[in-house]
Amino acid sequence: MLKLVVRGIRANLGRLVLTLISVVLGVAFVSGSFVLADSLRSIFDQISEDAFAGVDAQVRAVEPELNSSGENLVRFDESIIDEISALPEVDYAEGGIFAFEQTYSLLDDGEVNRPLGPPVFTSSWGGPSPVSSFTVVEGVAPIGQQVALDSAQANAGGFAVGDQVTMSLPTGEPEQFELSAIIDFGDGGTGGAYFNLFDLDTTQRILDSGDVVDSVVVNGGGTDTDVLLAAIEPLLPADVEVVSGETVIGESQEDFGSVIGIFGNILLSFAFVVLFVSIFIIYNTFAILVGQRTKQLGLLRSIGASGGQIRFMVLIEALIIGIFASIVGLFGGIGVAWLLKLLFSAGGNSFPDGPLEIRLRTVIVVVAVGLFVTLISAIIPAFRASRVSPLEAVRDGGRKERSVSFRLVAGAVVLIPGLVLLALGMFGDVDGTAARLAAIGIGAALTFIGVSMMSALFAGRAAGMIGGPVEATRGINGRLARDNASRNPQRTAATATALMIGLALITGVAVLASSLLATFDDLLEDALTADLFVYEANQGLDFSSGVVEQLDALPSTDSVAGFARVEMLVDGDVEAVTGFDTATGTSVINAGILDGTAELSQNGIAVFDETADERGWGLGTTVPVEFEDGFVTDLTVEAIYDDRSIVENSFIVDRRLSRQHVQIDAVGFVGITIADGVDAEVARAEVETITDNFAQLTVQDNTEFQEGVEGQIGQIQIVINGLLVLCLVVAFFGIINTMALSVLERTREIGLLRAVGMTRNQLKSTIRWEAVIVSIFGALLGILMGLLLGWAAVVAIPDSFISKVGIPWLSLVIYLIVGGIIGVIAAYFPAQRASKLNVLDAISHS
Amino acid sequence: MTVTEEAVRWAARADRASKIYGSGDTEVHALREVSVGFEAGRFTAIMGPSGSGKSTLMHCMAGLDRLTSGSAFIGGTDLGTLNDKQLTKMRREQVGFIFQSFNLVPTLNVRENVTLPSDLGDGKIDMGWVDEVIQTVGLGDRISHRPNELSGGQQQRVAVARALATRPEIVFGDEPTGNLDSKTSAEILEFMRRAVKDLGQTIVMVTHDPVTASYSDRVLFLADGQIVKQMDDPTPDSVLDTIKSLGD
Repeated sequence: MLKLVVRGIRANLGRLVLTLISVVLGVAFVSGSFVLADSLRSIFDQISEDAFAGVDAQVRAVEPELNSSGENLVRFDESIIDEISALPEVDYAEGGIFAFEQTYSLLDDGEVNRPLGPPVFTSSWGGPSPVSSFTVVEGVAPIGQQVALDSAQANAGGFAVGDQVTMSLPTGEPEQFELSAIIDFGDGGTGGAYFNLFDLDTTQRILDSGDVVDSVVVNGGGTDTDVLLAAIEPLLPADVEVVSGETVIGESQEDFGSVIGIFGNILLSFAFVVLFVSIFIIYNTFAILVGQRTKQLGLLRSIGASGGQIRFMVLIEALIIGIFASIVGLFGGIGVAWLLKLLFSAGGNSFPDGPLEIRLRTVIVVVAVGLFVTLISAIIPAFRASRVSPLEAVRDGGRKERSVSFRLVAGAVVLIPGLVLLALGMFGDVDGTAARLAAIGIGAALTFIGVSMMSALFAGRAAGMIGGPVEATRGINGRLARDNASRNPQRTAATATALMIGLALITGVAVLASSLLATFDDLLEDALTADLFVYEANQGLDFSSGVVEQLDALPSTDSVAGFARVEMLVDGDVEAVTGFDTATGTSVINAGILDGTAELSQNGIAVFDETADERGWGLGTTVPVEFEDGFVTDLTVEAIYDDRSIVENSFIVDRRLSRQHVQIDAVGFVGITIADGVDAEVARAEVETITDNFAQLTVQDNTEFQEGVEGQIGQIQIVINGLLVLCLVVAFFGIINTMALSVLERTREIGLLRAVGMTRNQLKSTIRWEAVIVSIFGALLGILMGLLLGWAAVVAIPDSFISKVGIPWLSLVIYLIVGGIIGVIAAYFPAQRASKLNVLDAISHS
Repeated sequence: MTVTEEAVRWAARADRASKIYGSGDTEVHALREVSVGFEAGRFTAIMGPSGSGKSTLMHCMAGLDRLTSGSAFIGGTDLGTLNDKQLTKMRREQVGFIFQSFNLVPTLNVRENVTLPSDLGDGKIDMGWVDEVIQTVGLGDRISHRPNELSGGQQQRVAVARALATRPEIVFGDEPTGNLDSKTSAEILEFMRRAVKDLGQTIVMVTHDPVTASYSDRVLFLADGQIVKQMDDPTPDSVLDTIKSLGD
């Protein structure tokens, strides 16, 4: 029995290798995701351990219920440092203050020196000490008008120790600092983040924070940790706590870990999409192979093999392929992870090196997934094989096809729950975007399977229709291509499915992207009335609110309004509230005020109409609020608004009120209207004299703003498509495989055609056009499905994010062409092979 | 009236044609310097035991295979001077084929199968002639049927019609009735003979069956890659006798 299986595999090696490729791709993706994420995690675990190696305890503020400062920690009075240092249990204590994206080194041309993506940290640093998170590469700790920069940043800026470096500061007045040291976080490698280190006094001055710190790190010099914590504890004011170094390391590892986890999960979900696609390819190959071996199987049955044995044979064959593919995929994935890690490291010395982490879990999951995918794909062909009757050995050809009604019913059984889930995700009473997207995801998978099953019903006719123009322009070659594409609808459907799924997802993403853009265009038209915008374009981070005053003071600006995100307790609930300059704001945005006045008093609050309805509030309702500094007051509802696309939150208070009660007075966005009679260029130049001092800020007009957003969406789309392209690669191999099998099956026919006068080129053209017709069928189905999915997703995503369906017509045309090109390229090898067939051998082929 | 050497028109001929398969110890001489001519407007049968070279001779004459040495001509054209593309064009325009089985493209109907060689070329074909041929083989009412809707005999008749449709220089048959029962066989052969007699077609067929061979005007006997005997106006008995005598 096993001998037969091995012989069977050997006889069809070429085809099975192609099948293997599709499993291997998916499996390698899974393996690579695991290995990369695990390796990164262990590297960053090590970084955390190195960075906090000498920290036995850390004093810090208790995480508050309200924190409007984003990544910044809550600060407390620095006097605690001396008290802690004085303890006999304490060997060394250092207070520090830290800020997220506040200072930047400037390049010679005045441009900001910052990484794309990773953040820039500003921190105080007391120099090398038992508790220091930084190691000195070169130089000494900064004092006064000195700064220490990490090595990646120093390299990027071309700075050497002793150089004068211009630093952009939140004060809006850049200053020169002498580069006193080049440092690394931990033992090197900051994951791309930049560090700007000053002494504590300078840091406090730059951040305008007063004499506060946000942490005190303590080395006990061998004191038992519990004793150390117990000694520090009584000194602490309310809302300040002390935790052990282990806790700090653990938290730091968790922070890194959760980011890496998200990254790993995104990769994994793409890997599973690829595997899902490859199931169709493997299924198709097995189905064709079983079909071609019908005679052989019949013979086996007639000499006494039971149906069960035949089934077992096919499954064992799948198992062997699965094992082989899993192992190749496992190592392939490890190789890819290694390459990616190398690539990260090559992007500067910011990325730490470390060993590849290959866990037993990875091996088990990868092998299990590879086997599962292969076996599940082979099950239906295996059962079909087991039903081959002994008579088939003597009968000629004539495969039995599933009846139309069986396909209809089976397809519907899968398709209908899929559509129901899709609908549920779109319109149903499902709580939360995650649940909605999950329903849409599973619904989409079932819909794909159902559509694939049912598409066999119309694949023949559809291929005939798509082939119409081909026949009209390509004559007999086109005619034969068209006939071949439609003669076996099941095969055409299964082959097209892989391409359908890949292109459906890509189209879905394109629809989402263009809907996002359409929504954004609407928003710009209706909601934004400002002439110029000032914001941090890279990550949308907050910046010093001093910018607003400085801009307002310019003669060329008319209205200047800043937006700040504030966390408050509103009627007892933690809410995100927009602090907004409402006096000037009406000329900058249109929030769609339904009732009341857009210009709020310092005791007023504006409420989004749906929220007001939910809570039963109206104009004049008194709402109790509490700010993060503990300030409690009653606000009166002075306006109801219905457009929160710019405001983003369901509540607005005047910024004159909110800024008094936050730790860091910052804004995230400033809108400007130009004064009457001032030339736009002149106004802009004037605005830039201010923003140039805040190196991270970007000034844009309406068009640029729009282009910027388009660019960002485009970039995200490129990344997603980059991952989805693997689906197309799998589909590509699937088409090669099917075409090769079809050519083999039609060897005699090809011999005949060649004998009666078909040239090699005509033959190649016929095969090429057949592949193109099948691909176009898959692409069309995919684009239709993608439109459906994209539309479903747009409906599911809250209107505040995407409210309008945009259809990327040009992209759709391109995808269709790409589908055709995939067919052309996939047909190359099968066509080449067919054209090389010896006419006589082909005619006598059995 | 005597037929002079000049007056004979050769539809195809071979000049010292040799075909060697393999090399060294495994060398097989399928044809050994065979020189033969197939007169236009005649029906020739090639006979011989398995491995005698009869199929090889036909394949090389038809441009499906190439000679190791010597030349093969169709009309006045030396097949050895043609590249693959020209050879394909030659088969399309100057040669008709009737194989033992699997003669038809399953996705094309009767008429499309018949016009296939011409469609592969410039598509210029005398449709009146095509219809006449299809009528003559008795498939006028099955013109838009697919091959799987036809019996084996009907399929071979379509093959014959296709071979004649382009009015080729010569038609080659490789055991054209080998898969058919004797009655159907007789019908097809009778039709082929009529094509020669009435339409002036040239036909060469390979067969191992004396009855089939008896429909031809002339039989060539091959053995060990050489023509060992020729016979004009054969009958089943005379053919059988010759085979027996050669076998001894």
